Amino acid sequence: MTKVVILNKGIIASIIGPTGPEQRRLANRVMEEALKQAALSIQEITFIVATGYGRINVPFADKQFTEITCHARGIVHLFPEARTIIDIGGQDVKGIKIDVSGKVIDFVMNDKCAAGSGRFIEVIADTLGVSLDTVGDLSLQSSHPATISNICTIYAQQEVAASLAEGVPLSDLLAGVHQSLADRICRMVNRLRVEQAVIVTGGGGKNRGLLQALSEQLGQEILVPEEPLITGALGAALMGKEIVEKARQNNTPLETKERILGAVEIL
Amino acid sequence: MAEEQKEAKPKKRMTATKAAASIGPMVKEFITGTLQAKAEGKYKVAYTFIVCHHEEIFRALDVIPVWTENFAGICGAKRDAERFLQRAESLGFSRSLCTYALCGIGFDQWREELGQMPPEAPWGGQVRPDFMISSGQILCDPRSKWYQASQQFMPDVPIYNIDLPYPLFQENRDHREVLGYYHQYIVKQLRGLVAFLEEQTKKKMDYDRLRELVNLSDRTWNLIDETYKLRRAAPCPMGTGDAMNTMVPINFMMATQKAYDFFVDLKKELEEKIARGEGEVENEKYRLMWGGGLPAWYALNDFNYFNSKGASFPVETTYRMVAPLNEMDLPETKDPIEHLAWRWLGYWTFWYDKAKKRPGSEPDVERLINWIEEYKIDGVVMHEAFSCRTWHVGLIWQLHQLAKIYKPIPVYMIGKGGQKEKVYRELPSLILESDIIDITSYSEVDTRNKIDAFVETLESIQSNRAT
Repeated sequence: MTKVVILNKGIIASIIGPTGPEQRRLANRVMEEALKQAALSIQEITFIVATGYGRINVPFADKQFTEITCHARGIVHLFPEARTIIDIGGQDVKGIKIDVSGKVIDFVMNDKCAAGSGRFIEVIADTLGVSLDTVGDLSLQSSHPATISNICTIYAQQEVAASLAEGVPLSDLLAGVHQSLADRICRMVNRLRVEQAVIVTGGGGKNRGLLQALSEQLGQEILVPEEPLITGALGAALMGKEIVEKARQNNTPLETKERILGAVEIL
Repeated sequence: MAEEQKEAKPKKRMTATKAAASIGPMVKEFITGTLQAKAEGKYKVAYTFIVCHHEEIFRALDVIPVWTENFAGICGAKRDAERFLQRAESLGFSRSLCTYALCGIGFDQWREELGQMPPEAPWGGQVRPDFMISSGQILCDPRSKWYQASQQFMPDVPIYNIDLPYPLFQENRDHREVLGYYHQYIVKQLRGLVAFLEEQTKKKMDYDRLRELVNLSDRTWNLIDETYKLRRAAPCPMGTGDAMNTMVPINFMMATQKAYDFFVDLKKELEEKIARGEGEVENEKYRLMWGGGLPAWYALNDFNYFNSKGASFPVETTYRMVAPLNEMDLPETKDPIEHLAWRWLGYWTFWYDKAKKRPGSEPDVERLINWIEEYKIDGVVMHEAFSCRTWHVGLIWQLHQLAKIYKPIPVYMIGKGGQKEKVYRELPSLILESDIIDITSYSEVDTRNKIDAFVETLESIQSNRAT
């Protein structure tokens, strides 16, 4: 997904749009939508920060930061007490450790294996014919979570399909899938020595079943932002705002790109 | 056939020193030299492993060592390992084995099947050995198993195994209590090697020559130590990227005048760079330690990427397989074999006493702590190469130990109002994940995304300190 947050004193627009293979070079379209929502023109935007894997594909961005920095900034804004952030996205999972002043001090990422990311649940939900929005609540109805032994998404997909055919209830299968993903996430973030408050962001933050499994396995209470999908974009906007304020304070010029909303040209 | 498809050629890595730039041709010359020696039949060539402290014995008997790990690394660096890995896989070997070994086994089988070098073999290929010297040391399991597997394809080539143990660290035990026993055993192992090589070469060991070669190695060890310590300078004149080149004379050319001369030149070059205030990076912002793991040989350009962000690497634990002999207190002996055995034990137990002085420390962690301080390190980078079990097992543990031991050490800084404040120095770490030569495990986009995030973390810590 591609997200845009426009800030003034508070959030004046926030958009979540799809990131297909073509949209990766079309960040301008989601930006246009956000501008429409805020009733602003691109020329009226003081500073633009891009983040995420596609941050280099945003030709109108004035600066780029990684999603680690931006998630941390966004989460600390919402939860000043945050010390550990777990971002569960469709592409990867990240663990971020922050200090008392809200600065990133360490991080870990899983970008190698779909079985350790939100993609795992997407694939299984698809196999079971359940919509992604409902998997969390359905799994909470389980009394005997199934054991998913395969650590590869493709094999786990076959395992789940076979178990379903054997009559294992849907809720038990989904609870098993959540426990399996929570287990992998825990093993990764434990490298950071998890401290309270723990915040989960990204699409995984919308899945109550996964949150419960994660909370149980971490042995920690988990907090979730109201809109977990936009925390990275919010952080980027806050970083941009800080750059502007600093430049004004120091009376230094702001280096910005020409305000033209265009797609990335692939040569 | 997939085996015949080669990968795209990698971009050349920029080196900071002239010495490092001279290594490529040096290795090529060495590989072609082994092929020539075999063709002429004047000298015996032997497969063997680095870090066995046996180079002097080889060279004194004019045996040419063929460093099989080095050849696999060359295949990786040239992005031409995949076809050999695939061949080994098709023979039934798992991709999760050491990929150096896998590459070597695949190459050997192919060469033996053809009766000549595989097509377009990197730098002419790896020569067929007259014999193989394996090593049952603790360092890694392929050291004894690799050649056994390769011998299936060349049953006429004998293997001789030397066992090189050392006492493992135990906090409550003085390793000196058992050192004599270990020493006797290693001496016996090395004398066995001498006897085997004498039989193979039909020569008698010239112990005066061996003594001279051991002396040359000892002087080279101390020279390397002095040279690398120059990298403590800020800005750092040479980084780990270059050290992945200069590891060649340390690990593959020890006991040669060429290796000694190489470090004489490098030392001079570094001294000159320091005098000019010239660093690996133009504006050095961060000083990082390569805290462990073999590098991804096909992705050495990542060091340049770090450099482009203002990060230099003044020190690394990988391939620094020497320690200052004058700090080792080795027993005096005129017998070069006995000296080699003492040096072996001295190297592996070098950090034991220091580690014992810090409660809860361990030798590997102690080395990290000492170098973090001496080289003024801001962060640690490690590489988890999935197929290198030896390194892989210890890295996370070392980071955990480091965090436990290092972080509680308070640093006193002058805080607000001129008061001394106790602060805990942060030391962020980055673990890169891929493999030594298996390029299918590597993603440049993901790796660089991690590097970007790590640099932002360093920046954030630095700005915190400034505040």
